[in-house]
Amino acid sequence: MKKKVLSMVLCASMTAAMLAGCGSSSSNTTDTSDSSASGSADTAADSASNEAASPAASGETVTLRVWAAEEDQTLTNELVEKFKEANPDQSFDITIGVESEANAKDDILVDPEAAADVFAFASDQITDLVKAGVLQPVQDTDTVSSENAAGSVEAATVDGTLYAYPMSADNGYFLYYDSTVVTDPSSWDAILADCEAAGKKAGMVFASGWYNAGFFYGAGFTTALNEDGGTALDWNGTSPDGIAGVDVVQGMLDIANNSAFLPITDGDTANQIASGSLAAIVSGTWDSSAAQEAFGDGYAATKLPTFTCAGEQVQMGSVAGYKFVGVNANSEYVGWAMELALFLTNEESQAERFDQREIGPSNTNVSESAEVQENVALAALSAQSAYGFVQDGTVGSGFWDPTQTFGEIIAQGNPSGTDLQELLDNLVESAAQPIE
Amino acid sequence: MSKKSIKVALHHLLLAVLAIVWITPIVWLVVTSFSGYDGMNTSRFFPETWSLRNFYRVLFESDTVSQFPVWFKNTFIIAVFTCLISTSFVLMVSYAISCMRFKGRKALMNMAVMLQLFPGFLSMIAIYFILKSVNLTNSHIGMILVYSGGSGLGYLVAKGFFDTIPTSLREAAYLEGASEARTFFTIVLPLSRPIIVYTVISSFLVPWTDFVFAKIILNSGISTDWTVAIGLYNMLNRTLIPTYFSRFCAGGVLVGIPIGILFVLMQKFYVEGITGGSVKG
Amino acid sequence: MNKGKVKANPAVEFFQAIGRFFKEFGEAVSKGDAAVKASLLVTGAGYWRRKQIVKGILVTLLELGVILYTCFIGLPYMGKLGTLGTVERTMVYNPQTMKNEVNDYDNSLLILLFGIISLCFLIVAIVLWMANMRSVYRLQLRAEQGKHINSFKEDCSSMLNDKFHFTLLALPVLGVIIFNIMPLIVMICIAFTNYDTNHMPPNTLFTWTGLANFKSLFTTSLTSTFGYTFRKVLVWTLLWAVLATFTTYFGGIILALLINSKVTKGKKIWRTIFVASISVPQFVTLLLLRNFFANTGIANTFCANIGLTDFLRNIGLISTSYIPFLTDPTWAKITIVVINIWVGVPYLMLIATGVLINIPEELKESAKIDGANAFQIFRKITMPYMFFITGPYLVTQFTANINNFNVIYLLTQDVYTTTDQKLAASWGKEIDLLVTWLYRLTSEQYNYKMASVIGICVFVVCAVITLFAFNFLIKGDKEETFR
Repeated sequence: MKKKVLSMVLCASMTAAMLAGCGSSSSNTTDTSDSSASGSADTAADSASNEAASPAASGETVTLRVWAAEEDQTLTNELVEKFKEANPDQSFDITIGVESEANAKDDILVDPEAAADVFAFASDQITDLVKAGVLQPVQDTDTVSSENAAGSVEAATVDGTLYAYPMSADNGYFLYYDSTVVTDPSSWDAILADCEAAGKKAGMVFASGWYNAGFFYGAGFTTALNEDGGTALDWNGTSPDGIAGVDVVQGMLDIANNSAFLPITDGDTANQIASGSLAAIVSGTWDSSAAQEAFGDGYAATKLPTFTCAGEQVQMGSVAGYKFVGVNANSEYVGWAMELALFLTNEESQAERFDQREIGPSNTNVSESAEVQENVALAALSAQSAYGFVQDGTVGSGFWDPTQTFGEIIAQGNPSGTDLQELLDNLVESAAQPIE
Repeated sequence: MSKKSIKVALHHLLLAVLAIVWITPIVWLVVTSFSGYDGMNTSRFFPETWSLRNFYRVLFESDTVSQFPVWFKNTFIIAVFTCLISTSFVLMVSYAISCMRFKGRKALMNMAVMLQLFPGFLSMIAIYFILKSVNLTNSHIGMILVYSGGSGLGYLVAKGFFDTIPTSLREAAYLEGASEARTFFTIVLPLSRPIIVYTVISSFLVPWTDFVFAKIILNSGISTDWTVAIGLYNMLNRTLIPTYFSRFCAGGVLVGIPIGILFVLMQKFYVEGITGGSVKG
Repeated sequence: MNKGKVKANPAVEFFQAIGRFFKEFGEAVSKGDAAVKASLLVTGAGYWRRKQIVKGILVTLLELGVILYTCFIGLPYMGKLGTLGTVERTMVYNPQTMKNEVNDYDNSLLILLFGIISLCFLIVAIVLWMANMRSVYRLQLRAEQGKHINSFKEDCSSMLNDKFHFTLLALPVLGVIIFNIMPLIVMICIAFTNYDTNHMPPNTLFTWTGLANFKSLFTTSLTSTFGYTFRKVLVWTLLWAVLATFTTYFGGIILALLINSKVTKGKKIWRTIFVASISVPQFVTLLLLRNFFANTGIANTFCANIGLTDFLRNIGLISTSYIPFLTDPTWAKITIVVINIWVGVPYLMLIATGVLINIPEELKESAKIDGANAFQIFRKITMPYMFFITGPYLVTQFTANINNFNVIYLLTQDVYTTTDQKLAASWGKEIDLLVTWLYRLTSEQYNYKMASVIGICVFVVCAVITLFAFNFLIKGDKEETFR
């Protein structure tokens, strides 16, 4: 209490000083002068000024902060409005901030208490978020698990507790290609040959454990989380399918050494598609509009190709990822935060999200709808899902950097000529390093 | 004679080449900001289409990513107050250390040197929690305190300047019965215009260029809270580059103009400051 | 002014001063009169006895404040400093109130932070209390000797006069204590704890682990590559500091000489062109250059068009279809140093110009008459003069480069991927400086304990260099020579 009073006094005196100094109220960021371009900025500003105007009465205004991805702002804003309409008896003050789903963890873990009450995040972050005690266990587990695909619920469950609300089931990757160039998208060899002939390239992110694990999952390898926080990889041995890890690496290396192959940096896929030099790329639904634009009439998508592994064709696997909405356990209004999270991920919201952004729903009803079934990218994703591996909960935070480096070495064609077995051994060893 | 003129020509040619190297990135920044497209053009240096659209959008069409006018206002407010507090702190410390002799003076100076050898953002997290405990994160006041709180440590340049003000001037004032405070305000400060200008401008520039502290303290995720530096930094997020690169450039140009003007003004004082006032240029 | 005094060993002087302080305190307690002794409990008593009512009240209020703070805020934190807390957080959701019910848990970080702050606060308070005894006793002596005792008003005006430095320094020093010293002490303490992703408050506790982190920084074992990474990063940090400092320093001098040469026409215009490049904030230009030199960036397009890329591939310098300006270890190091020259030279050019203009012309003229050529003049006259004026700047520049976060971080973040598996296992990169490594350890891995250890190492490195430089390279203290 003392601290609050102190800071209020400080704030008041500072604001007064600023008023005197600049002739305009400034510490408040509620200037609405030019936010007409975007609806969400409007609401953020409006709600903030409400707060200033009417301090919480006895009826208690519920103050919530929501973090949603940049592309999701308009949609989230609409959904939040609907949520308010659905609960007319309660007064809300909901602000929406921008935070990409991929980076949510980084900003939350600095100070979980300062993070948003409701936030969207990619499923690979769930282990760390649970470990830091950020996620509030879902109360209404029956609704969530009955409405959403089993895989998504499984991925949102850690040690038997459901921690998040599945929002989308499309956080995986598959193949986009230009059907006017690539005639046979079934194998890397065929794709690369077609691209070579047309003077185009085929691209994939190698330097990321999220992408390059696909080769290993396809060959039957797995990842598992150790008790001590390290990641157990069996990639340096022989898989249950009888494929040796070195052969997988050799297969990757052959692809990387092909002159029609373009290694892409993680996150740079949209730029590369837009540059027009590609005729095939391994990416996810977030690039569907970029691919449609670049490939035009030839736009097509399908499951991932096979790759050559010791003379055999092996189907590439992939990571079956999801996007979740999480509720911050530190939230002051954690109950309402859970209501909002549930609302943001319910059937109507997911249908709306698909309509506006072609995001693949995790809700079973929505994903069975005709529009979803007809979507090219989502069809490819669901074709690939047979070879998907739920990576969440099987890798620790020490998995990413070593696999990224491993992928980069392969993408550069193993310039130092290190023995492939040694590369794998090093990788396995550094991923297994316990988080002390 | 002709040999000499060739030499002169070569001399200028060399300078011209260097100038081109130095100015190229700035030119790229400017021409991209005037380009007609959103992202980055990697195949041509000069854009195919020219337009003022990027500036228009940066200034008048804000969205959740681009809130340039608000950022500019935030940064400006923070900068003004930072500059007021920092400048007074720096001048106060420099005067005390340069013109007064007291016990513990050397110890203080050694302490200041030591403190500056630690990497600054090591203590970032601790500062964050100190500010949070008095509820000053995500606020302008918090930012102002972070930027100006420890500014007394940067006294060296100003002290060097005060060292060059002849002692006799102050002694004359004491003889006339002026107090130390009076001497400070009426004798020393009026003589210190260059160093005041230098301190004002360099502390004014801090909030415009820092993004490490700003990022951790302004962590609400609400873009209207940000400063120019984090806002522009955020625009170059991988997923945002394709749509915001040229607006980033426009923003960079808009920030660069006032800072450039300040810098040109400061040039002379900057040199005087660093060289300990021994240069009379 | 202590010009004539022989310099005593500062450490010895320091301890002597402490000894004197304690002696005077003891004297005050034993020889003071009743009022002075009463000041042990009520700090204002001694002042009231000498009719310094206001001062007495102020001092007593301060004492009261300190006691209240220590009892109600300080002690609970300080008491837990030894363990850094024992109660883990548990949360239970209450559907009725729609809120979480949280137990009264311990937050290790807050205990550390406020425990340390309170502890420092208490120590300062005790020192002040002892100093107070001393001054009360001095007051008694003055009264006994019949000397004048200041009124409150006189005390105030002395704050603007012979004690003006108190007035001047109070706020800035307070600022430095709050925003530099306190956080620094806390972060140094973290180096001796296990504060990392597995021990993150508020959910979990962390505790003291002694020197374990230092040990893991200097060892390379099967499971820990910190030792390996530390060595690599340290070597590159030092190499970088040398390269960055000297390339920009000499680059700046050469550029200044070029521009200020007698034959140059339009000196002001040339200078403005170079200054223009530093007028755009550094983070903007650096982020811009990162995209300029990207693998698919415009610099690569240009090099491919003029055939440079093919040429380099043919002679075996690159193996890729692009020039890896910022993605290959060697190339990236070169690019970074070159870009740093671009960033730093204009500043140095300005400074060097200022110095050059001031070199007495007679010196050069007489050297010329003696038959010295341009290079000899540069070596024998210009450079020594430059060194003399800019020596201290050069040293600070060197330590600043060791901590040069912006250039490395902005140019390589998200772009550079290491291909050294051992480095990757401890989140280092070939191009990392100690500070960038430290920053990424905190902001990406939350490995605060190792970051603190590295921070301490940075300090040690910088301190050694600074001490060496100031003691051996720059002799003497210029402070008094100007007057």
